[in-house]
Amino acid sequence: MSTSIRSRETGGPATEPATGGPTGARPPRGAGTVRVKSRPADRIFFGLSFGSAVAIMVILAAVALFLIIQAMPAILANWQSNPDLNEGPTSGFANFWSYVGPLIWGTLWASAIALVIGAPIAIGIALFISHYAPRRIAGVLGYLVDLLAAVPSIVFGLWGIIVIRPLLLPLTDWLSDNLGWIPIFAGAPSSTGSTILAGAVVLAVMILPIISSISREIFLQTPRLHEEAALALGATKWEMIRMAVFPYARSGIVSATLLGLGRALGETMAIALIISPSIGFSVKILTEGSNSQTIAANIALNFPIATSLQREALLGTGLMLFVISLAVNFVARGIVARSTPGRPKRTKRRAAPPDQGAPAGGAMIAGAAFAEPAAPETKGLQA
Amino acid sequence: MKFTHVAAVSLAIGSAIALTACSSSTTPNTKPEPSTASVSYEIDPTLTGTITAGGSSAQANAQAAWTAAFNARAKGVTINYDKSQGSGGGVTNFTAGSYDFAGSDSPLKPEQVTAAEAVCGTDGAIDLPVYLDGVAVIYNLPGVTDLKLSSETIAKIFSLKITTWDDAAIKAENPDATLPSTPITTVTRSDGSGTTTNFTNFLSQTSPSIWTYTPGNTWPVAGSSAQQGGSGVVNTVKAGTGTIGYADHSAIGDVTAAAIKAGSSKDYVEFSAKGASNAFALAATAAPTTVEGDLSKKLDYTKINDKSAYPIPLLSYLIVCKTFESADQAKLTKAYASYIASDEGQAVANKNAGSAPLPTDALQEIQKSLALIK
Amino acid sequence: MTVLSRQSRLTGKEPGPIRNTLATGALPRFTELYVLLGALVIMGGAFLLMGFNLGGWLFLSAILYLVGIGALSAVVENRRKALDRIVRSLVVIAFLLAIAPLVSTLVTVTAKGIGELNWGFISQTGGAVFDPATLKVTITTGALQAIVGTLEITGMAALMSIPIGILTAIYLVEYARPGQWMARTVTFLVDVMTGIPSIVAGLFAFSLFALLVGPKAFSGFSASVALSVLMIPIVVRSCEEMLRLVPHDLREASFALGVSRFSTIVKIVLPTALAGIITGVMLAIARVIGETAPIFMAASFTDNFNANLFSGPMQTLPVLAYTGYKFPGQDIAASNASAWGAALLLVLIVVVLNIIARVIARIFAPKTR
Repeated sequence: MSTSIRSRETGGPATEPATGGPTGARPPRGAGTVRVKSRPADRIFFGLSFGSAVAIMVILAAVALFLIIQAMPAILANWQSNPDLNEGPTSGFANFWSYVGPLIWGTLWASAIALVIGAPIAIGIALFISHYAPRRIAGVLGYLVDLLAAVPSIVFGLWGIIVIRPLLLPLTDWLSDNLGWIPIFAGAPSSTGSTILAGAVVLAVMILPIISSISREIFLQTPRLHEEAALALGATKWEMIRMAVFPYARSGIVSATLLGLGRALGETMAIALIISPSIGFSVKILTEGSNSQTIAANIALNFPIATSLQREALLGTGLMLFVISLAVNFVARGIVARSTPGRPKRTKRRAAPPDQGAPAGGAMIAGAAFAEPAAPETKGLQA
Repeated sequence: MKFTHVAAVSLAIGSAIALTACSSSTTPNTKPEPSTASVSYEIDPTLTGTITAGGSSAQANAQAAWTAAFNARAKGVTINYDKSQGSGGGVTNFTAGSYDFAGSDSPLKPEQVTAAEAVCGTDGAIDLPVYLDGVAVIYNLPGVTDLKLSSETIAKIFSLKITTWDDAAIKAENPDATLPSTPITTVTRSDGSGTTTNFTNFLSQTSPSIWTYTPGNTWPVAGSSAQQGGSGVVNTVKAGTGTIGYADHSAIGDVTAAAIKAGSSKDYVEFSAKGASNAFALAATAAPTTVEGDLSKKLDYTKINDKSAYPIPLLSYLIVCKTFESADQAKLTKAYASYIASDEGQAVANKNAGSAPLPTDALQEIQKSLALIK
Repeated sequence: MTVLSRQSRLTGKEPGPIRNTLATGALPRFTELYVLLGALVIMGGAFLLMGFNLGGWLFLSAILYLVGIGALSAVVENRRKALDRIVRSLVVIAFLLAIAPLVSTLVTVTAKGIGELNWGFISQTGGAVFDPATLKVTITTGALQAIVGTLEITGMAALMSIPIGILTAIYLVEYARPGQWMARTVTFLVDVMTGIPSIVAGLFAFSLFALLVGPKAFSGFSASVALSVLMIPIVVRSCEEMLRLVPHDLREASFALGVSRFSTIVKIVLPTALAGIITGVMLAIARVIGETAPIFMAASFTDNFNANLFSGPMQTLPVLAYTGYKFPGQDIAASNASAWGAALLLVLIVVVLNIIARVIARIFAPKTR
């Protein structure tokens, strides 16, 4: 019994994140390395899987290489003296990095706002469908939310122009009048609604179905035994979710959020149609002229008019989008790796000296209650 | 045997028709006005093949009309014009050899001329001005239906020096209108566009002291409401209050456009096809070129000061190689371009795309250049 | 022996007797409803005085409701129950917040597109008729060329990326050791690719085919390759997560019975994860079926009917919608109407595909619930 538990946590194929590893000790022999008879079907299938992985590597490496080769001339050119780069969309920038810097900021800013609005709602929806909704209609509700994914992005762009821009105008005015001293609400409010706020709201609606569907599937996979055990111990529904569902689903939620973020980072049509852009570092979300432009929308808007070197500059900004995706995914995988159950971690409890004052203790309890994935309790339930 | 017999006969017929087509590019005029010649072109109905092209979206509607008209006579021909590529994309694909011709709002630049020689051979490529339209200044102000603006006022509005509708400059030009104190929202293009090039050229040439920005295809003034595409500008102007923007006249639909006074002229001119044609006749001069048959034009907007001429014309080119790899492709593309540059072609574009017909002498120039294609 | 609460273990203070949370009072059955109604009424009154705004009213009523029910529950029942009620309300609010844009979007698309959707629109190719006498070109709207293009291009893209994606996910989950360089590289590349802009994928596919075929390399297959590049990361990522969630007990029981690895994966792991895999696949398809930029780059633009995937430009429904809006003909209203019609058609196609996928999942998945 204990061997199988250990194998599940240290040597099994599926619990470890790919970048991490087990505790460092070699897994006990027989755990995780299952010896089965190798039949021709096995070898063929393994060959197919391995071949697919290789094919992906080749394709994706080719795309990356393509971008790098195409973009290099523009990155290395002298932007101030080159006649091609001195006009049109790339005019007025000292070099490639002063062009792409504000674009990177705009991409991250718009996606961050969309994620802040959309991810909690998406997870809430997933929770609702998997745990709170009446069983009979849960399937239908899940399907309804998946319908949002069926809507093409051009429709979201047009819907954003027709519905969301006018809808947010009163809010924009109110925020600018009353909370205009906060930097993100500063500046003259837009009269047409072409703000980053409108764009981020539409982006949030677009990434909602992705995060929600995957999270829902993951929540549904939580072992019933864990859930029922928690309920049997007297936990309220929320506590049960916190103790049994979330730890199990943590890596999946992060993956789902990352997929949603990937969609937001690369979204072209909605941003291009809705926002009135400018290339610059700005945190204002309510204005007409200070909306930081995103990389993908910038490429889409300027590609048709771009001459060859300008095209390469735009592809260079696309390359930067890769780097951003990579960095974000790296950080997220790091978060997942550090909080997966089974890894030794410095628990906050033991670090706290026992004679701390009550407020600190209270905060620590709150922190421990919410930040701890309750791994010890889960482990206890398993054993 | 029968097959070769048929082939010989059709070859004879085909060459006869081709010869007559070549020689009938100008026929003696049959129109009531004896002073203007007409440029007509007969489409050969036995033509077959595919033309792949793309570029400027300003010409898109005209290209669709020309394609339909051409297809009606030559049913074996397929023409694909990709309007999503834009002038830059069209030229890039053209110099890579993917297009038989490109539509572009500006003629080839020197480095593009060199690149074209790689795909066209030493003869190079020629720019033919085939599409004429105007840039309209559209606005939406409740209670105001015929706004008159001088080029200086327009320059001040779009460079954000005038910020409310009841400014003294606008009032002076519109004494009868009741102008509210609504703030002005300028609506411009967020994507690079030939319309912006034409408009900023106009502003820069007619009001150099006010419009100090370099003309180009990207809008230079920060703080305007930038929308994607001409339709984006039109829709935003329509949906807002106190908005003013610029767009191709053929794309504005039912939004009101201002009457514009240019430079030293005394009259405010509204857009008309004749007005654009007259403007072209006044303002267009041949640009310096190294390629024989190239008809690139320079537009001098300061010369447009006649009340019959619309102050902001917009010109779009068809860029084609002089030498094709395949003689059939050359014949096909030449036939299509010849139709475009004929009276009927220009009339079709006028009726279906709202463009202005080019003056006859310009069409004759184009036909002469097209004769160089082989 | 006193039961030490968490608090006392940390603070070291001796506690008083623990409040028995199972014996506190309970709020009557419809309290939540009453509190909600009360919040709506109070806020409604406040807004009538200030100037009515639907969004503001709903938002502030929700806040008031949450505060009210939380306070009420904390006093009458206990804090844990109060938190539970608040979370339940938040989750329901989240769901309602999702339904609003969904309904709004679908209503917008349907209302604007339904007028255009008739048998003629679906079965005809868009065309133009030229009248030589009046020189008038009459445009007939039709979406057949776009429907065929969409189905062919997306179908080919799905055919290419779904097997590769699932097999790669299987490799990453079932075969690869966690620290292996191959698994790490593939994961790295897939991570990076989730953010690729679609226009770059289209340009890549076009350049690839221009290298292979020559300069006039526009074809539907080229667009399919571009769409595959966009789909693969989504398929791999979501399938990987779903496969990881399959309990090890199942695999180990299967191995214990002597079943080969191949059979275990195909007959046990995949069916267990089938519902999730199909969700991931449908997400990927839905994502790419609405793309326009890669189609423009790789398959150029045409209004003509072309059913040959491997040669010549093809049009798809999102392209028809986009060009109808962005490059309208002289009759702007008609172009916009055909754009919305194409968009509605696209939504309907994806809905039908979704239903088919669900039916497949229900047939093939093992009955667990």
